[in-house]
Amino acid sequence: MAARGHVQDPNDRRLRPIYDYLDNGNNKMAIQQADKLLKKHKDLHCAKVLKAIGLQRTGKQDEAYALAQEVAALEPTDDNSLQALTILYREMHRPELVTKLYEAAVKKVPNSEEYHSHLFMAYARVGEYKKMQQAGMALYKIVPKNPYYFWSVMSLIMQSISAQDENLSKTMFLPLAERMVEKMVKEDKIEAEAEVELYYMILERLEKYKEALDVVRGKLGEKLTSELQSRENKCMAMYKKLCRWPECNALSRRLLLKNSDDWQFYITYFDSVFQLIDESWTPPPEEEHSLEGEVHYSIEQAVKFIEERITEESKSSRPLRGPYLAKLELIRRLRYRGCNDEYKLGDPEELMFQYFRKFGDKPCCFTDLKVFVDLLPSSQYTKFISQLLAVIPLSAAAEGELALPSDIKALQQHLCVVQLSRLLGIYHAMEKKQKLAAVRELMLRYRHGLEFGKSCLKTELQFSDYYCLLAVHLLLDLWLEGEETAVWQCLTLLEEGLSHSPSNAQFKLLLIRIYCRLGAFEPVAELYSSLDAKHIQHDTIGYLLTRYAEALGHYAAASQSCNFALRFFHSNQKDTSEYIIQAYKYGAFEKIPEFIAFRNRLNSSLHFAQVRTERMLLDLLLEANISTSLEESIKSMSLSPEEDDIPWNDLRDNRDLTVLFNWDPKDRDISEEHKKLSLEEETMWLRIRSLTLRLVSGLPTLSHTIQPKNSEKTAENGVSSKIDTIRSLLQQLEVAVDSGKKFLEQKIQYPVLGPPPTRMAGFFSNGSCQCQTSLFYLVSDIYELDTNGLEDSAEIQERIGNSFNSLVERLTDLFNKCKGDLIEVRDGTLKTHPSLLENLVFFVETISIALWVSSYCDSVLRPFKSNMQKKKKKKKESSLAMPPVFTHFLDYVAELQTLTSNVIDHIRGLEIILSALKLEELSLKDTLLLEEEKKFTKTVQGKVQSSYHHSVQEIGELLKKRLDTIKKLKI
Amino acid sequence: MTTLRAFTCDDLFRFNNINLDPLTETYGIPFYLQYLAHWPEYFIVAEAPGGELMGYRWCCADAVFTVMGKAEGSVAREEWHGHVTALSVAPEFQRLGLAAKLVELLEEISEKKGGFFVDLFVRVSNQVAVNMYKQLGYSVYRTVLEYYSASSGEPDEDAYDKYLFMVNMRKALSRDAEKKSIIPLPHPVRPEDIE
Repeated sequence: MAARGHVQDPNDRRLRPIYDYLDNGNNKMAIQQADKLLKKHKDLHCAKVLKAIGLQRTGKQDEAYALAQEVAALEPTDDNSLQALTILYREMHRPELVTKLYEAAVKKVPNSEEYHSHLFMAYARVGEYKKMQQAGMALYKIVPKNPYYFWSVMSLIMQSISAQDENLSKTMFLPLAERMVEKMVKEDKIEAEAEVELYYMILERLEKYKEALDVVRGKLGEKLTSELQSRENKCMAMYKKLCRWPECNALSRRLLLKNSDDWQFYITYFDSVFQLIDESWTPPPEEEHSLEGEVHYSIEQAVKFIEERITEESKSSRPLRGPYLAKLELIRRLRYRGCNDEYKLGDPEELMFQYFRKFGDKPCCFTDLKVFVDLLPSSQYTKFISQLLAVIPLSAAAEGELALPSDIKALQQHLCVVQLSRLLGIYHAMEKKQKLAAVRELMLRYRHGLEFGKSCLKTELQFSDYYCLLAVHLLLDLWLEGEETAVWQCLTLLEEGLSHSPSNAQFKLLLIRIYCRLGAFEPVAELYSSLDAKHIQHDTIGYLLTRYAEALGHYAAASQSCNFALRFFHSNQKDTSEYIIQAYKYGAFEKIPEFIAFRNRLNSSLHFAQVRTERMLLDLLLEANISTSLEESIKSMSLSPEEDDIPWNDLRDNRDLTVLFNWDPKDRDISEEHKKLSLEEETMWLRIRSLTLRLVSGLPTLSHTIQPKNSEKTAENGVSSKIDTIRSLLQQLEVAVDSGKKFLEQKIQYPVLGPPPTRMAGFFSNGSCQCQTSLFYLVSDIYELDTNGLEDSAEIQERIGNSFNSLVERLTDLFNKCKGDLIEVRDGTLKTHPSLLENLVFFVETISIALWVSSYCDSVLRPFKSNMQKKKKKKKESSLAMPPVFTHFLDYVAELQTLTSNVIDHIRGLEIILSALKLEELSLKDTLLLEEEKKFTKTVQGKVQSSYHHSVQEIGELLKKRLDTIKKLKI
Repeated sequence: MTTLRAFTCDDLFRFNNINLDPLTETYGIPFYLQYLAHWPEYFIVAEAPGGELMGYRWCCADAVFTVMGKAEGSVAREEWHGHVTALSVAPEFQRLGLAAKLVELLEEISEKKGGFFVDLFVRVSNQVAVNMYKQLGYSVYRTVLEYYSASSGEPDEDAYDKYLFMVNMRKALSRDAEKKSIIPLPHPVRPEDIE
């Protein structure tokens, strides 16, 4: 921002050092320099603003704001001040103030093109579409440049998009925009491609497809040149909207003649042919078939056309997959219509075999054929696979040994067949023994294949990596069928694979998923960071971390992963606004609604809402009443129980749930239904968590009744509405819990590599849920006691006493669910119990809530007690009995203390066992493992052990801190 | 056998299979939006048909590759040119000649815009890429010295011992009939000398 053209201005010279300081991040010096300058030149407003920027950047927001407003009130019109204020407001996240600034400036300098255009952009940043429209026109009146006029038109489209009332948008904004463009067309003033694009956009939104088509095909359409096939694509879109199948057909046919590998045109071609057949379309006599030329309207023509594409392909220098796959697609469509082999296209099995012979050595061959396997009858699967295997050049070193590929091409072909076998369910149908043998074979092939990749760089994948992955998938099947040791083999093989192919993201992802399922988060953090996932990936795959970090007691890692994600989401708002403005500048109008939709998609991201909520819960868990009071913590997060900032109805699931490869048959694969259910489950869990957070945030708001009770109840209106909020939230929590339970009754099993289930099931089954809701009911009772006083509240006191008792029982039950060994050695194999870890984490959270509620209770009882002591002294009566609630509370707190100490002891015990467990001495009886594999197995088991150790340590530390807070509760 | 189309913001949510590759950088949102706002025609994605067959239509698809580019430079000085910014192909779809096809597309667009040449930067160490571009008619125009600190990946002026060499390769378009734009420079340049 420092560089400025006219050096002559003495003010520029004076301000320069301040700019330099700011640019170099030396904010203190900038402030000093500004002060110095302001002493000499009181009216140098810009110096004030620059000082304010310095203040803002050193965390003195209030001072900065006051100073800025001082200057803004003077309605400055000098460039320096305006630009500096713009920067400052942007850093303050107050873009709306920039609009005020330039509104004042254009009033004072009504003919300034620059200020008007700044004003337009300022409106654009905050999405004031109506004002943008006016600002654009005002600009055009001052300087009749086309872009300004079309900014105004675009603002109208934005008004139509943002209008709640669709009718208004279709009858007012869009027609107005259309008329504005028509006017320019009539006056022959259309200059740029962007203007034609905009015209097209308007007509399309108005559903005037015919008119849109005329524009694209007409003189104006000649301007559409930047994008490849821009005119063709737009025409095609309109033909489809208008159901003009002859044109659709002719155009796609023409485009396929040009490029017989572009899949989208095959689809349109087939769609249109069959539409025309269904309509019994015949070409008009003695006329062109259609606007786009010759039309195919019979199956015979289509068959011939595809066959011709294949013949053409055989002459091409670069092998094209399109024509061959198009043939399979045509067969599929014919079958769907009930035609069998009457068109002599051939047998799909044979065609796929031929395809394999031609493209089997390409890694994409599997993906291509995957789409068409449903053309094969299931009775033919085995035969088909052996047919493919038979043509792969494999050779065995000796009789009885495994026949192996001798080059990369053969390996690739073989891999394709293995993948297809998995897809066709051949591996799934195997017996355990066969599966184990298959794993052995795949690993042998994997290790053999490494030979071909000796010269591969670290950043490259090994050619045979998929063998290893497929072997692991088979082992995963076995594990899910109850074969406990298989999971260790999975990890072993993956770690081995990763050591040869350190950049393989699939190895890492699968390791992450499996370690997490075993409750071991420690290795996951490292693996994830080596994926180098950033920016948008925080949203799409961040769930891999955030689902487990906190749940397994890795609090520090959980905080960190939430922070990364939050930083990304928070920068989104600012970033996107900037580029919306750029899109206006460059005339990329069609990108503007896209950018806005993108921003919304990120803002209403499920993951964003989750990390926001979990991050606050986590902060409270780690800090509230430990390092700062609960009240202060909540204040610093600007949390309030009334506020709900989660867009429940528009939550977007941006998770990439198919990021892990798999080759499962369709019926085992992750389906849209799974994704839908998972979103439903995540939303329910989020609701429970968000309500819990809001309930906790309501606790300090109730404590204002500490002042001695006066008869004037009116003063307490504020607080009594707070308890209403709490009670209503509690009711909502009950509803959320109920629907969560109903959801879980469906017993949905996601595929093992599909969406991870939420923590909800554990929350219900270990009893934390009941504990937590009872705690919030207790809050309501204590509040009642608070308002009624000690006299005449025997019934409430008894109720509170009972709640205390049952809470202690429930918390003890919860503790019982945490007991047991995390790792045990049974029959020479290692067995883990990760759910105990998750239960422990829930215990810590629940006891923390119990303690926050207790400190509220304490704040209510304490004044009662001191009042009573005063009375006692006055009356000197020893007969004044302690109300029962005091003893109840003291007993309760003592019980909580004992319980917490017991859990801490238990954790200490776990730590001792974990350290004492010498896994190296564990003799791995598994005969399946080779010596070198055993090495990896030890590493893997060591990682799990160390991770558990880490978990219990962090959990123990936190619990100790919580124990310390109990001591403050002894009234 | 792919479907070529303009890259849209929504593709950012599904390009993991391309971007988890170690040589493909995932940039911040501004980087992508800048290209989409300024050179949308140069930002292309290809999809393979895949996924579910819904009724009678193809739906979801795998992104196969992306290419980003831009047009820049002065026309008067005959420096107006197309630039290949990033080109990534998902591992599964490598070795199919797709990269070549994408570069051709970018050249076609640059021809239409009246560019004099197309250029790109590639690490010297990435010999696979250098050779591929050579095959496609690109030649080394100049070598660029770059200092990278190994730790942060950010340029670091103090780490002079950590030189990385990049080559700037060019291919003349038809507007530069005499192929003046690709005459190699005799000496390597520093990154700050690149416009």
